[in-house]
Amino acid sequence: MSGPVPQQIPPALTARAAGLVACESCGRVHRDGIAQCQRCGATLHSRRPGSLQKVWAWLFAGIVVYIPANIYPMLLTTSFGRTTENTIIGGVIELIDYGSFGVALIVFVASVLIPVGKFIAIGYLALVVRPGARIGRGSGLRGRQHLYEVVEFIGRWSMIDVFVVAILAALVQLDFAATISPGIAAVSFSLSVAFTMLAAQSFDPRLIWDAEEGTAP
Amino acid sequence: MSQQEPAAMRIDPPKRAFWRNLSMVWLVPIVALAVSLGIAWQTYAARGVQIEITFQNASGVTPGETTIRYRDVVIGTVEDVHFTPDLAQVVVKASIDRAVAETLPEDAQFWVVQPEVSARGITGLSTVLSGVYIEASFPPGEASEVRRFTGADAPPLMRAGQEGTRITLRTRDANRISEGAPILFRGIEVGQIEAPRLILSGDSVVFDAFIEAPHDRRLTTATRFWDTSGFNVSLGATGLSLNVGNLAALVTGGIAFDTVFSNGEPLNPGYVFDLFPDEQTARQSLFRGVAANAVEIAVEFDGSVNGLTTGAAVRFRGLRVGEVRAIGAVLSDDSGARDVRLRTTLAIDPQALGLPDGAGAEETLAFLEEAVADGMRARLATSSLFTAALIVELAELPDAAPATLERPEDSLAIMPSVYSELPDFTATAEGVLERINALPVEDLLNQAITLMASVEAVVSSEGTRQAPDAALALIEDIRGLVGGEDTQALPGELREGLAELRAVVEELRLRGAIDRLASVLDSADTIAANTATASADFPALVQDMQTLVDRAQGVEIEELAAAATRLLDSTEELVGSDQMRELPPALAGALAEVQQVLAALREGEAVENVNRTLASTRSAADSVAQAMESLPALSARLDRLVTQADSLIASYGARSDFNAEALDVMREFRATARAVTQLARTIERNPNSLLIGR
Repeated sequence: MSGPVPQQIPPALTARAAGLVACESCGRVHRDGIAQCQRCGATLHSRRPGSLQKVWAWLFAGIVVYIPANIYPMLLTTSFGRTTENTIIGGVIELIDYGSFGVALIVFVASVLIPVGKFIAIGYLALVVRPGARIGRGSGLRGRQHLYEVVEFIGRWSMIDVFVVAILAALVQLDFAATISPGIAAVSFSLSVAFTMLAAQSFDPRLIWDAEEGTAP
Repeated sequence: MSQQEPAAMRIDPPKRAFWRNLSMVWLVPIVALAVSLGIAWQTYAARGVQIEITFQNASGVTPGETTIRYRDVVIGTVEDVHFTPDLAQVVVKASIDRAVAETLPEDAQFWVVQPEVSARGITGLSTVLSGVYIEASFPPGEASEVRRFTGADAPPLMRAGQEGTRITLRTRDANRISEGAPILFRGIEVGQIEAPRLILSGDSVVFDAFIEAPHDRRLTTATRFWDTSGFNVSLGATGLSLNVGNLAALVTGGIAFDTVFSNGEPLNPGYVFDLFPDEQTARQSLFRGVAANAVEIAVEFDGSVNGLTTGAAVRFRGLRVGEVRAIGAVLSDDSGARDVRLRTTLAIDPQALGLPDGAGAEETLAFLEEAVADGMRARLATSSLFTAALIVELAELPDAAPATLERPEDSLAIMPSVYSELPDFTATAEGVLERINALPVEDLLNQAITLMASVEAVVSSEGTRQAPDAALALIEDIRGLVGGEDTQALPGELREGLAELRAVVEELRLRGAIDRLASVLDSADTIAANTATASADFPALVQDMQTLVDRAQGVEIEELAAAATRLLDSTEELVGSDQMRELPPALAGALAEVQQVLAALREGEAVENVNRTLASTRSAADSVAQAMESLPALSARLDRLVTQADSLIASYGARSDFNAEALDVMREFRATARAVTQLARTIERNPNSLLIGR
């Protein structure tokens, strides 16, 4: 991740070091100590208070609800009186059995790889920006920034599975012949995605660069 | 220079409590965790109890899909199907509802419900789409910790908790009985039988049957079971009988029962019923069933007992009161001469005679003794018209020779018998047949056939067929004549003509004609009289015909019918011809017109005149004709005269007065001659004109 260039750049003067604070909403620069933006009225923070705490909380909630999302059935397919339950992984395996490798890959990536990757990514970021953290200290700050951007961007795409379930459940209501209804896992999974998106949002990316200074907030 | 300042004071911010730093966001994961744990607990709690059911085979049972039902409500799901270690059986692992599992007793029954089509209907149809399921049956409430069960291959005969009675039946062979066959009570299915099995000795078959409550209340020792499988045709002492049972029983076999008498005792455990081959046997076994206190008596019959068999009924006033136990011969030397007598042993049921339940031999014999004194005798009787089978009848003959019920010490009481005139059915039938044979049927038939042939020939001949045509043509002609304008105008003209004719007739003085007409009428009278005489013979003719018809009756039907059919065909052809159909209307029309004419005639009072003068007319016409023959001669003479006169006149000279007058005379003569000629021509051309005046 880390290119050769950032290593040679000398530590820059940060806004906080200069006693300034920028409004997160409108970008106006204020002197340190001012509570509210004089232009747009938003609350001014040099660093968001309790940012990491919120990140951890959301992340933890996301992981908690991700567990039933994988254990409980995502889809309840009722056909001619027989009810078939499919979990996420079960569906992927079934798709592979049927030879639909492409669809299986998409479902697997969207429902398993991305959420799990997000947990890991957010957890990693939250760990490394912690003041006094020893993990990956001072290295690859741009890489972290990239990681954060990717996590924030990709978060909504893991809802793809939930969309599929929602559409199927809405369309396939043929009473006795075939009926598809969402299981508990569908709710859990969408909650999990929402929680991880909130976790990513709670993360203050400015913390990444604090590592450069080694200063405490 | 600058004053030394005290070292910057180290000011620590107040230590904030850890929990104050906590964000409210932490509530989210806590709630999520709680909810997840709640769901997990719920799932765990609802997981059910694991049980194992062992089946011989588990066709259609699929893990995760096959359900376990109790009273058709799902109580669990099969989770796994695997074999026992020796591969001899299939173990089905299932989880069932905890609530149900708590009441699952040790003897719960499980079986796989599959679609089944049998003679008794279609069952398990719902499993065609949904797949098989495992049905459970148990009386709830007796909880046990047993979690391993043995599944049945077929639905159990008796559902757990079902009330009823299990009985055992015994039969010689189970040919017509199969497992699950219905048990019928008056045609209603009240139970089923289980698979028949041989008893150890192998000489009969027993099977268990279950009779549902409340019908099991009817079971007593007086209950008889019989086989209703298929249909049963029997030709016996009571004639021909055909019994067809219920359709299901026809295919799978079936058993019916009834309680044939009322004072049966309640069943003891282990009581085994006999299965009778048919209802009649079962009902007749009534006697055997109570034969314990039957009283045996003997009867000695004179004459043959051919047709009397062991088991034949003993009837009293038509009611069966016992049966023939044995038939044998005994030697008796009462009167010195050794004599073979036929002794028949009868078993009499005291209850059937109406004696009280506990009546023993003594009471029965006393009763019989009294009855014999009053005229009760044993005699043989035929049991039905068609068979030679005999029964014993206890007849009441008050005017019979006095006798008593002999009661020897060492043998059975002997009831006196009377000889009975058994109708010789065979002889009678033969006589009837002989008489039928003797009937002269063939002659009769031949005559009838000849008659029919003649009739047919007449009817089918061309002449007969054409008769309607001829008649029709005749009628058409008559109608043309009558309906003609001339004929219509006849009456009026006749009147006129008659008046004229009368004068002519008067002048011609031909009165003698009327006398002749009268004589003609007289002869007509004679003819009519003759006809009447002929008619008098007609009844005789009719009688002859009647005789013929009588003979025709009872002839060989087929040829007669054929001939009759041909006759009818011909007649129909004749009647159906168009001409024949047109005949009546034509006749009617003609008659109407004739009537019209006659009416007109009567009105004009012409009839009398006609009558009177027709003859005259004819004579007149004859005379006229005669005269007409001479007319041409007259005309010729006149012509000659005129010519002579002409020549005479010519000789006198043209200009004299005489000449002129003679010329006038000559002209008149000529005109006269011309008129006469004209008249002659007219009459020649149209003789009618003389009558009608034209």
